[in-house]
Amino acid sequence: MTESKRVMIVPCSGIGKAYGSVGREAMYALLEDLCPDTTDTVCLSLLTLGDAEAQAQVRDQPTITIDGCPSACAKVNVEAAGGKPMAEFRVYDVYRAHRELKVRSVSELGDAGREMARILAEEIAAKVDEVSRQPPVNSQQSTV
Amino acid sequence: MPVLPKRKVGLISCSGEELPEGTLSRVTTLQVLERLRPHDTVTLCLPLFLAGDDKERAFARFYPMIAIDGCDKRCAALATEKYSAQPTASIVIPEFLAARGLDAPHSRRQLDAAGERAVDALAQEIARRVDDILGVKHAHVAEEQVAKSEVVTATCSCGSGIPVTRLNIAGKDVEVVALPLIFEQFYGDGKSPDELFTMVKVYNAIPPELEPAYREATQRAFAEYVPAPEKSGG
Repeated sequence: MTESKRVMIVPCSGIGKAYGSVGREAMYALLEDLCPDTTDTVCLSLLTLGDAEAQAQVRDQPTITIDGCPSACAKVNVEAAGGKPMAEFRVYDVYRAHRELKVRSVSELGDAGREMARILAEEIAAKVDEVSRQPPVNSQQSTV
Repeated sequence: MPVLPKRKVGLISCSGEELPEGTLSRVTTLQVLERLRPHDTVTLCLPLFLAGDDKERAFARFYPMIAIDGCDKRCAALATEKYSAQPTASIVIPEFLAARGLDAPHSRRQLDAAGERAVDALAQEIARRVDDILGVKHAHVAEEQVAKSEVVTATCSCGSGIPVTRLNIAGKDVEVVALPLIFEQFYGDGKSPDELFTMVKVYNAIPPELEPAYREATQRAFAEYVPAPEKSGG
């Protein structure tokens, strides 16, 4: 995947919510462990403040959002910047499927929180792989 | 009687995902919130503050703010300034590290030894500034004594519950924070109009040239707040 078409992973990183920390850790797991060649991120605050380069990134590249609370700051702010997330993940959905996982705190996820982040990252990685396997728009057009 | 929320210092961290210094800002802010000054500080998620409504914006008007930024784009400071008021203090981490001769962290996911040293120094600096703003003295800057039963976990102050009232002041629609709470307190205590305005100024940044207009508008609003029989002297 070319540098310009990496999948942008945008977590809310909510500082007052443990699920915000889970989303942030899942993003780093994708960028550093699972999909280092096909993903990238952008500072959400910079994007929300209206930085032109950050906004162009989420408009021009496939983007996946991760949110830790119902305010859905990642999704809302990507959309406000003109982006259309190809997928929106919520940490709470991982918890609903794995209620045995209790995150310790916002500053220390604990083993359960890290496990939750790993599960979430693997779900997102599957989505990233789908996008990565799709041929670029130009080559699709040339085969028609 | 309703009580105004305790005067605390708001900490706004950029939490920038792209940079190790963004993680440093986040980890340090949490350290101050949870360990160094758990009873004197509050926080709000910056993206929520940026995208939020009156309740979120009121947060930064009600509390004196310290912005902690991971790079010179200063998202936290600029956001506070743009949507609420000038932050009381602003720390740009690369400048802070350079001034202290500290190395920057190298990993944005997990802080290394350099990052841990930077967290300690920066957290103590923020704690000092919190103390300065609140005018309190701690015996030492290190961790505040917290009872074992009182484990403090940082939480977001989203939907802070601080009410915002819109008043027409000098021909403009202006937001004034905490007004109903102040009115309730003054209505019960029977304090003077001058004391009322002094309290309004504590929680709102009022330009000196607009003080007379603010005074008149808030006292008019208070008169409307007081129940009718009492206004007639009953």
